[in-house]
Amino acid sequence: MSPIVKREGEKFTLPSKYLLFILTLVCVVMIIVTFSTNAFSSSLNSFFGTVIIPIQKGVTSVGTWMVDVAGNIQSIADLQAENESLKQQVEDLTAQNTNLEQDKYELTELQKLYELDSQYDNYEKIGARIIAKDAGNWYHSFVIDKGSDDGLTVDMNIIAGSGLVGRIIDVGPDWAKVQSIIADNSSVSATILSASENLIVTGDLELYDQGVIGFSKLVDDVDKVSVGDKVVTSDISDKYLPGILIGYISTIDEDSNNLTKSGTITPAVDFDHLSEVLVILQTKQQVEDSSN
Amino acid sequence: MRRYIVTFFLIIISFIMQTTVFRFFDFGGITPNFLIILTASYGFMRGDKSGILVGFFCGLLIDVFFGTYIGFFALIYMYIGFVIGQFHRIFFPQNIILPMVFIVSCDFVLGFVCYVLMFMFRTRFNIGYYMMHVIVPEIIYTTIVSIFYYPIILRINTKLEEIEQRSAKKFV
Repeated sequence: MSPIVKREGEKFTLPSKYLLFILTLVCVVMIIVTFSTNAFSSSLNSFFGTVIIPIQKGVTSVGTWMVDVAGNIQSIADLQAENESLKQQVEDLTAQNTNLEQDKYELTELQKLYELDSQYDNYEKIGARIIAKDAGNWYHSFVIDKGSDDGLTVDMNIIAGSGLVGRIIDVGPDWAKVQSIIADNSSVSATILSASENLIVTGDLELYDQGVIGFSKLVDDVDKVSVGDKVVTSDISDKYLPGILIGYISTIDEDSNNLTKSGTITPAVDFDHLSEVLVILQTKQQVEDSSN
Repeated sequence: MRRYIVTFFLIIISFIMQTTVFRFFDFGGITPNFLIILTASYGFMRGDKSGILVGFFCGLLIDVFFGTYIGFFALIYMYIGFVIGQFHRIFFPQNIILPMVFIVSCDFVLGFVCYVLMFMFRTRFNIGYYMMHVIVPEIIYTTIVSIFYYPIILRINTKLEEIEQRSAKKFV
């Protein structure tokens, strides 16, 4: 009789040591395979996706509904106070708006002159709801309820409000996994809008609690960049469409090499209270292809 | 067969609790780790083989949805399940303190291994920060949740064992 398969009565059992060994091998093989290719992702994804995603969708809609109800009751008093201040604000803004209206007219005229079009508004977008977040507390990735059936593919950009949230890194039939720009393992190539200087925006778990994300490798010899400057995605990024707002510079520090600067950016998106996002149905690759 | 179905549903429910339901009850973005409670409880209640299998499938689920490499978390959870399974000999259903201690230490080991493999290797050496802002809050929250969740798992397990014994007697 072989030592591996031992008989206990009628049942045949595998000692746990061997089970552990076999499953370890399986895991190692899977890690190596997924490291180099994405052979498993489609089959495993669709299997788990069909079982789990519908439940997650249901739970999310029930949960959002409950939070909404609880929020409604609580916030009536707050809303009345807010209403007062908002009325005040409306008056101020109307005055401001008329000024801006004139500026905008000027801008469109100039844009026509230069034959620029504002690409950002022209992208086709689709709304999606966040249905699950990362199982651990280390990274900030999440799952949305739209997938390849709605025309989503890997590397599509995700925005919320006016700011960049992240990009799709994995897609199933009716779900997609999104890596946010505040995740510790994410980096985005960006540009300072006023100075046209490039920099790298990196998510950082340590900075995240302060509500900021880090940037580095900013070359700024003449101190053109100042606190409050707008940071947008750059033209040279191969994953992110150009000109999407990331946030505003909040601190700048000189690096020890005296060549580059680093610091922090306040993101334009409130990542703590993110429930719905917009997916831009165009990847950078497609945009470049169509313009060629 | 009944046991496999029940375990399958327990894994799915734990995963959904962790990723979707408790997203509404998170404290500072920290959610409790239901899957480690399940893995540790199974390893402790049923022995190392159950710990290995439950850990493997729990980890695999995380890998498929959130992992970069499939098999990474499966490996960690599986070994945690195996090690806890070695303590099956000192398992008594009445004792509630010991499993709590095991769940806490499992969550700590998991957090520490995650830090070493995913952060320290990328030259993020500020372990004190990660300890105070991710690992310890997660352990505390997980412990609080496990006070309610572990007895449920235990009761399901006892019930299943009763049914199994009854049907075994019927055949004899």
